[in-house]
This record gives sequence, C-alpha cells and structure tokens, in this order.
Amino acid sequence: MPEPVINVKDISKHYKVPVREAGLKAAARSLFKRTYNIVKAVDQISFTIEPGEVVGFLGPNGAGKTTTLKMLSGLLFPTAGAPDVLGFQPSRRQPDFLRQITLVMGNRSQMAWDLPALDSFELQRAIYGVPRPDFEKTRDEFIELLEVKELVKKPVRNLSLGERMKMEIIGALLHRPKVLFLDEPTIGLDVTMQRRIRQFIAEYNQKYGATVLLTSHYMADVEALCKRVIVIHNGKLLFDGDLSVMKDRFSAFKTIGVTLANGFSMFSQYGEVLNQEAGHVTLRIPREKTPEVTARILAEQQVDDLTVEDPPIEDIIEKVFNLKSAEGDVK
Amino acid sequence: MRTIKLAWNYLRIGIANELQYRVNFFIQLLQSFIALATGLISLWLVFSHTTQLGGWNQPELLAVMGVFIMMGGVIQSAIQPNMQRLMDEIQDGTLDYALTKPVDGQVLISIREFRFWQTTDIVVGMVVLVVAVLQMQMSIGIWQALAFAVALLLGGVMIYAFWLMLTTTAFWLIRIWELVNLFQGLYAAGRWPVTIYPAWLRLGLTFLVPVAFAVTVPAQALTNRLTPVTLVEAFGLAVLLLALSRFIWRLGVHGYSGASA
Amino acid sequence: MKHYLGYYLSNMRIAILGQIQYRAQNYFYMVGTILEPTVYLVVWSTIANSQGGSVGGYTTGALAAYYIVWTLVRQMNVVFTPYGWEGRIQRGQLSGELLRPVHPIHSDISYFAGWKFVQIFLWLPLGAVLALIFKPVLHPTWFQVVAFFFAIWGAFLVRTMLYASLGMISFWTTRVGAIFELVFALELILGGRLVPMTLMPDWVQHVAAVFPFQWTFYFPINTLVGNPGVSEILSGLGMQVLWIAIGIVFVNIIWHFGIRRFSSVGN
Repeated sequence: MPEPVINVKDISKHYKVPVREAGLKAAARSLFKRTYNIVKAVDQISFTIEPGEVVGFLGPNGAGKTTTLKMLSGLLFPTAGAPDVLGFQPSRRQPDFLRQITLVMGNRSQMAWDLPALDSFELQRAIYGVPRPDFEKTRDEFIELLEVKELVKKPVRNLSLGERMKMEIIGALLHRPKVLFLDEPTIGLDVTMQRRIRQFIAEYNQKYGATVLLTSHYMADVEALCKRVIVIHNGKLLFDGDLSVMKDRFSAFKTIGVTLANGFSMFSQYGEVLNQEAGHVTLRIPREKTPEVTARILAEQQVDDLTVEDPPIEDIIEKVFNLKSAEGDVK
Repeated sequence: MRTIKLAWNYLRIGIANELQYRVNFFIQLLQSFIALATGLISLWLVFSHTTQLGGWNQPELLAVMGVFIMMGGVIQSAIQPNMQRLMDEIQDGTLDYALTKPVDGQVLISIREFRFWQTTDIVVGMVVLVVAVLQMQMSIGIWQALAFAVALLLGGVMIYAFWLMLTTTAFWLIRIWELVNLFQGLYAAGRWPVTIYPAWLRLGLTFLVPVAFAVTVPAQALTNRLTPVTLVEAFGLAVLLLALSRFIWRLGVHGYSGASA
Repeated sequence: MKHYLGYYLSNMRIAILGQIQYRAQNYFYMVGTILEPTVYLVVWSTIANSQGGSVGGYTTGALAAYYIVWTLVRQMNVVFTPYGWEGRIQRGQLSGELLRPVHPIHSDISYFAGWKFVQIFLWLPLGAVLALIFKPVLHPTWFQVVAFFFAIWGAFLVRTMLYASLGMISFWTTRVGAIFELVFALELILGGRLVPMTLMPDWVQHVAAVFPFQWTFYFPINTLVGNPGVSEILSGLGMQVLWIAIGIVFVNIIWHFGIRRFSSVGN
C-alpha cells in the first residue's frame, strides 16, 4: 500500500486580530491600549491524501480552505500540528520539497506583465533547474494541449484573463511537480475557459499521476475534477469523503423537470413548485417519493419530456452545514 | 553557481524588456540631466559664497557629487526596483510565489529586477567624476584607484543590505512608502561629504544608514583622504550589515508565515 | 455652499481618523522630509561659520530658524502629487470619482486639509527637538504670527492647484515624469526650498517673481522668521490669493478638456 502523499493530523491556525471601534474617541484610545480577538482560521483538521488523488476543498469564504492549503505548501506555520507532505515538513521549505510542488492562485499572477509568456517560462526553468530538453518537451506539449502557440509570444498584459490563466497553469507545471496546490484557479473565468482549464488539470493528473488539491467556489470545478471532497466551515472539517456519498447522504430531494405537451395544470399537488413557465415546470420532491410521483405525473399529465436530477450542489452544501451546525459546535 | 546563472537570466530578460521602450531612454537621460543641473547649481551657489566647504574645495566636492550620482544609478537600476517589487508583493500576497520556489527567498527577491535605462546615471556620474579628477590636477595611483573601486563595492553592498532591512519592515508595517521617503532623504544627505555634518548626524549617516561609506569614503579614496583603517572599517561594516539583513529577512519571512492569512 | 462645508468637514474627519492609525508611517515620512532641510542647514551653517558667523546676511541662528520653520511649512504644503494624478488617470481610477456630485479636487483638498492637523500634531515634538539641537533665532511680531497662519494655508492651496494642473497633463500623455521632475527642480531653486531667496543672485530673484513657487516656501517661512513689513506681508498674501485664483482657473479648464478626452478614450 503506497505511502500517503499528504498526512495531516490535528493542525490548527490561530490569529490574533486587533479590535478597533469607529469614532474619534476610540481611535485616540487605541493609541494607548490595544485589544485583540483570537480567530481560529483552522481548528484541528486531520486527513490523509494518497498519491494521484484529486481532492476538492469546499466551503464558504473565510472557512479556512486557503489557510489549510498555505500550511501544506509551507507558506504558513501551523499553530499546532505538523503536516507531512511528500515526506517533508512543508514549513522547513527545503529546496527538494519545493521542487516537487507548485502553487497557483487565481487572481494572482506570477507571469511577468510586460513580457511574452515564453520569457516567463524560461525564468521558471532557470529557477527550478529543469534540464533544457525536458523543459522544451514539457513546454511544447502543454502549449499544444492548451492551443496557445501564438499567444505565448504576446506580452502577457495583452492577453485576456482566460488566456493569462492558461499561461499561469503552464508556467506552474513546467517542472512537473508531484503535488499541485490550486487556490481558486478558475475564478473570474468564463465557462468555456473554466472547462478548458479543468480538462488540462485532469489530463495532467492522469498522465503524471500528480496529486491535486483544489479549493474552489465553483461546484462545477469540484464536480468535474474531484472524486473526493473535504468540506471546511469555520475552520473545522465537516465532511471528508466521496462527492457522490456527500450528495447521496445529504440530498434529501430530487428535482423533476416536466415539459408539457399541452395544457397547464396545478402541479403543486405533486410537490413544491420551484419554477413554472409556459410548457415547463420544475418541481422539488422528497427523494423517496421519486418513483411514485414520476409515475403519477406520467399517468395524469400530457408529458413531452421528464427529467430527474440531483439538486444543485450549493443546496447540498447548505444542508451539510445546517445539519452539522445543528450538531452543535459551530458559533 | 546556479544562482549566478539565474541572476544572468533575470538581467538578460530585464534588459531585453527595457530595450523595447527606447523612448524611456531619452526620458531617463532628461531626468538625469535635470538632476545633474540641480546639483551643479547647488554647488555653484555654495561656491559663490565661499571657497571651501569643510576642507573640501570645488573640484573635490564635484568628485563627491560624481560618486553620489553613480551610486544613485546603481541603486535606481539594481537595488530599488527589487525592493519596490518586494514591498508590492508583500502587500498583494504575490510574495507567496517567491516563497514557494526552490531558490533562497532573499536571493530571489534581490535579483529579479533590473532597470537598464537607469544606468545612464552611472555614466553621468562617471563623466562628472572624470571632470572633477581632471580639475583636481593630481594623478591617481593604482592603489588609489583600487581603493576607490573596493570602497565603491563595499558601499554598494552596504546600501543593499540597508535597503533590504528597510523593505523587510513591510512585513510588519504594511505600508512603508514613507520609509522609502526616509531613505531617499538620508541618501540625499550623501551629496555632501559627511565630514561637514555634526557628530550625531555623521554617526547616523555612517552606521545607521551607510551613506557615508557609499559616497564619502570612495570620494575620500580619490582625494587622498582615505586611511587604511577606514577601508577595514568599511569591510567590517559591510559584513555586519549583510549578516544583519539576512537575519532580519528571515525574521520577516518567519513572521509572515506565522501571522498572515 | 453648506453642502460643501459638510462634505469638507466629513472628509477631514475621515482623514484624521485614518491617518492617526498610520502614525508610524507618518513619522517616517516626516523624518524623511526633515532630512532635506537639515542637510541644507548644515551646509550653509558650515559656510557661515567659516566666514565669521554669517553668510548673505543670515547668521547661523537665522539659518536655523529658516530651515526649522521650513519643516513646518513643508508639512503644510504636501499635496497630492502629480504622479498620483498620473496614476489615477492611467489606471482608470477616476471613473469612480466621476460619478460623484463633487469635483475630485474637493476630495483631495479636504482630505489633505484634515491630514494637516495630524501632521502638525505629530510635527510639534520634532520641531521642539530640532529647536533644541540647532538653536534658531527669530523674533516675529504678533502680526507676523497671525499672517503666518494664513500664509501656510495659502501655500497649501497654491501648491494643490499647481500640482493638480501639472498632474492632469497625464490626460494627454504618459511621458510626464520628465516634466514633473523639471517643475520640481524649478521649485527647488526658485521657491526658496533650497536656500532663502535672498541668498540667490538678484537676477534669479527677478526670475522667481514670475513663478508661483516662492509663495509655497519662501514667503510663508520668511513671514515668520524674517523682518517683513506689514505691506510686504499683505501684498504677499495677496499674491498667494492671486496664484490660487489662477490655479483654480487652470484646473477647471484642464479638467474640462481632460475629462472629455478621458471619456472618449475610455478606460
């Protein structure tokens, strides 16, 4: 059984945040006396990740996902716990460790602004010490996969946001890292570009067996790439397991879409009507009733088309939080 | 060493980038001349009221100005751009990229940027220096020239170390534009030989901010004022400042990793 | 009118609250600005001492007075730099400002005006230390002191208009750095920033009369440390008002045309 590539036990990250009120008097007072709050950005999280896994970290803003990622890449020292990545302690930042990882932060570029991406790639090569033949092979392979042959010659500032992201990704993977830390990589991109980037990451994972940790707001990212998800909320780990298990366990509902041949009926008798327009109704019904309700609709209505779907993941996540919050340890 | 190759890469790319913007060269030249004119006017004004300042006569002060401009060119082309970028990156969180690279962080952030057109000041400074030496009508021996070069190098190292320490405080103080202003003010004091300043200021300009060693000492080498003791002191201080800046850098990165989100 | 007053007071309050939090940075900035006149003072005191105690009519005590008051006047005449305007215009940050019913220059003036209070407050101990070290000599009359108060605010406004006009050149060109540096150099020489104007040769003083620079440095400083007569002070204040008026006209004209260009080019 292969060694886990990432092993994390009870890591925490606490911050002291100064507290300041509004107004002249409070500002003057703060000259002499400072008060602090302790914020638990990450609170005793544990998990292990096997080589080659693609894991999605889900959670609302400020949940602690990025903080966790930064602790694993060596950017932050945990307040408690000692993560193990590739057999190294990340915060020691040993060159051998750093050569095997990569960090991509959506919205934060590391490409030189005024230069063509090709120049930035050269710099990456020099920094990571990639032998030239390997470098050129990898670079050309990625350029072809992402279809940016002409774009790599243009100054980065002249590229669109999506094109720039492609350059970022290529640049980040030129040294064929074994572990990828991707923090909101598709943020701000249009749907086509998001899909393209996801595809590329999936291919990289397939071909090189790299381990990918991804944080994202976009459920589509997670659904497309990750078999396993870790849900973090208020610094605590709420769920760690297969995405489908999470969907199964926490989605108590199904969504039924009915396209009518003619006529308009009262659909509220079947379930909760989410949306009703000319010729099309969307219903939400409890899961266990799906066979019964669909049978009834098909029998009693003039149906052209009927679909049964899982509710959107955002709803499922809400369910996870609400359920876990009810279990009582979240403020 | 790989670091040297890396530095060469950055240099090459920096120059190639700047060469694209030839207009910047003329603008830079214009600015250098404006600064030179201002300096010369200052000097001329002083000498319209006196014949010597603190024991330095006119060509000697011109020499000081030449070194001042040259060193300024070195700072503007190689030191300041890197420190500015470090400051910016600390503020927008892109420093994370530099810290996850398998290259020593301090080395990386010190060699990334090079403003080629700012080297006009180095040339202007050298021209002024040559004019000053000619006006002084003395011959410069090989030892003097060597001492000058060594003093210049040590001065540059000290300025780098000092600037790095200053910029590293951005880890704690967030907005440090004003610190930059402070440095520029202190550096401007180096336009005159520090021997004219009152003792407390001279001390500050020597040990707190090594302007004295960056400008006055090389000028002293050229004008026969330099003692071997001073050169040894320069070496010692350079080593000390380099070690101190390394220590403070590591402190800064440690704090950054411990206290940011 | 009352609407503007309310806006000014509110923005000044925000400036004070904000800048109090950045006292370390303010101090560093201030110490940086104090270094410049310290250098000038030391140089000219050295000259004075080597010539029996005075140069061009200024004793070392008078020089000390000039340059220490210089530091206070400097705090007062710090304004939004033309480089700041360049940044605003090039980076399209004006778009937000344009949507407000108040001209952006009011935002600058009111913010900086509020900031001045924090700066003056922070300057006082520094000024005291400088006085202890350099022992200034000055005997202003009450009239001079009162006039000084008006002169420093006049200097603030003259300089604001001057650098706003200069900065707005960025509407038309990106190559403004050299122009800015040229103007700064002129201010240094012709404004009494480098040395008191009376230490300059006569012809320089005549040239300087055409420019607004000496009303931002030399005039306010001299009002407090020199021996100007009442009429000289009053005509000086009048000149400040004149330059402010000229500045307002320029700012309005340049803004009008600049905004047309800005909106058409888009950003």
